Amino acid sequence: MNPLVLVLNVKANAFLKSAFDFRAQSVLKNVSSLLVFGGVALGVFFLARGVTGYLIQQAHIGQFLYHRFLSMLLYVFFVTVNLGNMIVCYATLYRSEEVGFLMGLPISHEKIFIIKFVDNFFYSSGTLTLLGLSWLLGYGSFYYMPWYFYFLTMFAVLLPFMLIAGLAAVTVLMVLIRIASRIGVRWLLALIVGVYLSAIYLYFRVTNPVQLVEQVMEHYPDVNQYFGYLDAPLVRYLPNHWVAEFLYWSVHGDQARAFFPFFMLIITLAALMVVAGFMARRYYYKSWVSAGDARAMRGGRTPLLRLRVMEFGRKGLLRPSMDVLVKRDFWLFFREPSQWLHLLLMLLLLLIFLVSLGSMTLKLAQPLLQAVSFLVVFLFNGFLIASVSLRFVFPAVSLEGPSFWAVRSSPVSLKRLYWYKFGSALLLILLLGEVLATASIALLRNNPALVFLSGVCTAFIALALTSINMGAGTYFATFREKNPIRIASSQGASLTFLVAMVYLSLVVGMLILPLHAYFENLILHGTTPEGWMTLPVAGVGILSVMLFLVSTVLGLRSISRDY
Amino acid sequence: MIELRNVVKKFGSFTAVDHISLSIPKGQFFGFLGPNGAGKTTTIKMMTGLYEPTAGSCLIDGHDIQQEPIAAKRSFGYVPDLPYLYDKLSGREFLYFVGGLFGIPAETLRQKIEECIDIFELQGFIDKRGEEYSQGMRQRIVLSSALLHEPKVLIIDEPLIGLDPRSARLVKDTLKQRTRDGMTVFMSTHLLEIVEELCDRIAIIKDGRLIHEEEQTASRTFDGQLETIFLELTK
Repeated sequence: MNPLVLVLNVKANAFLKSAFDFRAQSVLKNVSSLLVFGGVALGVFFLARGVTGYLIQQAHIGQFLYHRFLSMLLYVFFVTVNLGNMIVCYATLYRSEEVGFLMGLPISHEKIFIIKFVDNFFYSSGTLTLLGLSWLLGYGSFYYMPWYFYFLTMFAVLLPFMLIAGLAAVTVLMVLIRIASRIGVRWLLALIVGVYLSAIYLYFRVTNPVQLVEQVMEHYPDVNQYFGYLDAPLVRYLPNHWVAEFLYWSVHGDQARAFFPFFMLIITLAALMVVAGFMARRYYYKSWVSAGDARAMRGGRTPLLRLRVMEFGRKGLLRPSMDVLVKRDFWLFFREPSQWLHLLLMLLLLLIFLVSLGSMTLKLAQPLLQAVSFLVVFLFNGFLIASVSLRFVFPAVSLEGPSFWAVRSSPVSLKRLYWYKFGSALLLILLLGEVLATASIALLRNNPALVFLSGVCTAFIALALTSINMGAGTYFATFREKNPIRIASSQGASLTFLVAMVYLSLVVGMLILPLHAYFENLILHGTTPEGWMTLPVAGVGILSVMLFLVSTVLGLRSISRDY
Repeated sequence: MIELRNVVKKFGSFTAVDHISLSIPKGQFFGFLGPNGAGKTTTIKMMTGLYEPTAGSCLIDGHDIQQEPIAAKRSFGYVPDLPYLYDKLSGREFLYFVGGLFGIPAETLRQKIEECIDIFELQGFIDKRGEEYSQGMRQRIVLSSALLHEPKVLIIDEPLIGLDPRSARLVKDTLKQRTRDGMTVFMSTHLLEIVEELCDRIAIIKDGRLIHEEEQTASRTFDGQLETIFLELTK
């Protein structure tokens, strides 16, 4: 058998064995995953259908503008898949022990590259694929599209679109690793962050959504035709534009015009496959060796970060057993580029979000719209806290890793270890959440009551999300995986994130009616109802404390399991 | 000093360790032998608190590892079969880390680390990061970490794998000296010649059950016969 088919077959079998494992615990885990993933897929389906219906039938933004918005969303989706693949690929293509094993076998470098790329692509893009499919079904059902539209769009448009993002990521990564051997990893990482932020900024600067809305709405509803001349020339050559164009012409029933963007996608994918194959043949082995050399030579480098107070051997303020745990976690975090770099990137995105809010003005006359606009920002804050928690709190126990034996066999209580990890994570998440909540709400509205409401609810959200991620992260702990990004994108992590989303939806559900009543009184009568905040805050508090208790019991029980 | 009372460990329907009882006095060098998959590492993991026994109890220095884990863990040092270190910490940092977990005062710890550097000849790599170490370097660092707090009991799983002859000699001499000083050593290994050279007493485990126990004294040595005994009993 062809070695490529053989290895992929082994991997597929391993996946199927784990998916169809009929032991009680595995069945329970798989059924609950199915329920939560199914629930979210259903949620995305109705959301896509609802949003499409609202924008087209009630907001009357027109097909052209709607599909340009889709194009922008697809651009963000493209960058997410691309960046996700690039970060995870470094671990799977260059640091995985399996590559070392395969390199010792008579298999061509190109085939090893394909094996690892396929492995990586399905691992890092699985949840995004599910979300894409659910969205497509919701979108298509609004337009009453025929069955083959979904099939064609999923497998011949969205999948190639994601493959283009993934292949572009690994091809660039191979080149970057070669460059890194000359300029060093740190400068390279800084370069990548710079390029990606510039790309996002330039895209939105070129597409200019605000100007686009103004120009389109100027002619609408008199002209609902193709406003192609409004597209910037550069944008027409991007894959997200082709997907949006394909959808635009498909819903208009113009198959002939839908063919061109479809053709462009397939041709680009084919060209990228050829380029990636060529690059893999020429550079994959060389870049793999370079990455290994870079790791081996790291010992001679000057440390990036020196902090005497965190040095081992210096007396700390805490008791010795706690002091060394803090120092260990500090150094393991700041010596692992995938940790600090990801945090830096997330903080930069938060900053961009806050700056963008600062330039918005909300002059909405309707109380419901005021309540909704407040909750959208509030929910987005919650989403950001959930993302940061998932990325950094969920893997906290798993990152004890294969070296956990050192702590497990030492006279340190595992419950104390859990509380230490929980406490330090809560402190950081709370700090981040409160800064975000206060700044985002204060930037939009000069209203102390709303800033207070946001601040209190965010404190509860930080407590609940930290405990959910800590508890579930301990329950799903996998000590063999060293890569925090892979831990944070595992099945258990996805399940945890979805639970967090359900929790945030419940919080928003508790706040919407009291907020509506508040804005109604404020706008129509200039007064505020007395004690309007008590009930919703109590509701959010009770729900959050209950989640904290359940998650903490789960976490404390799980941390003592056999290692 | 070490007492195993009817210890059982089951993984689902599979019994990895089946009613093992052992009593090892202070200062004894105990060799725990058995073929692959016999239950040696599982037994050690129960003794060190990494696994919870399905039944029975493990006592170290009189403390039940499940009931009084902190007191029991203060009494022993542990060297696992796969000596993983933190990739991003240097050997010195790792030693400070483990010493801190055991609550050793800073100045005492610094002296102990310097002693370990001398004894196990760690000078050449102690300040490099774990990710750069060979198996033998890891083994020497981990053995040092297990001895930092002067444990009454040392539990070691395959201590000589990956060590070059000079390092192996260093380790053997250190362990022998420590048992003379009163430390109890519980060692699991496949290297029968090492057992003959070092151990006062051996036990052989097969399919989770203890099938043989024997002592070696000055008047009654294995005299190169251990391999024959082992092969006969485990066939």
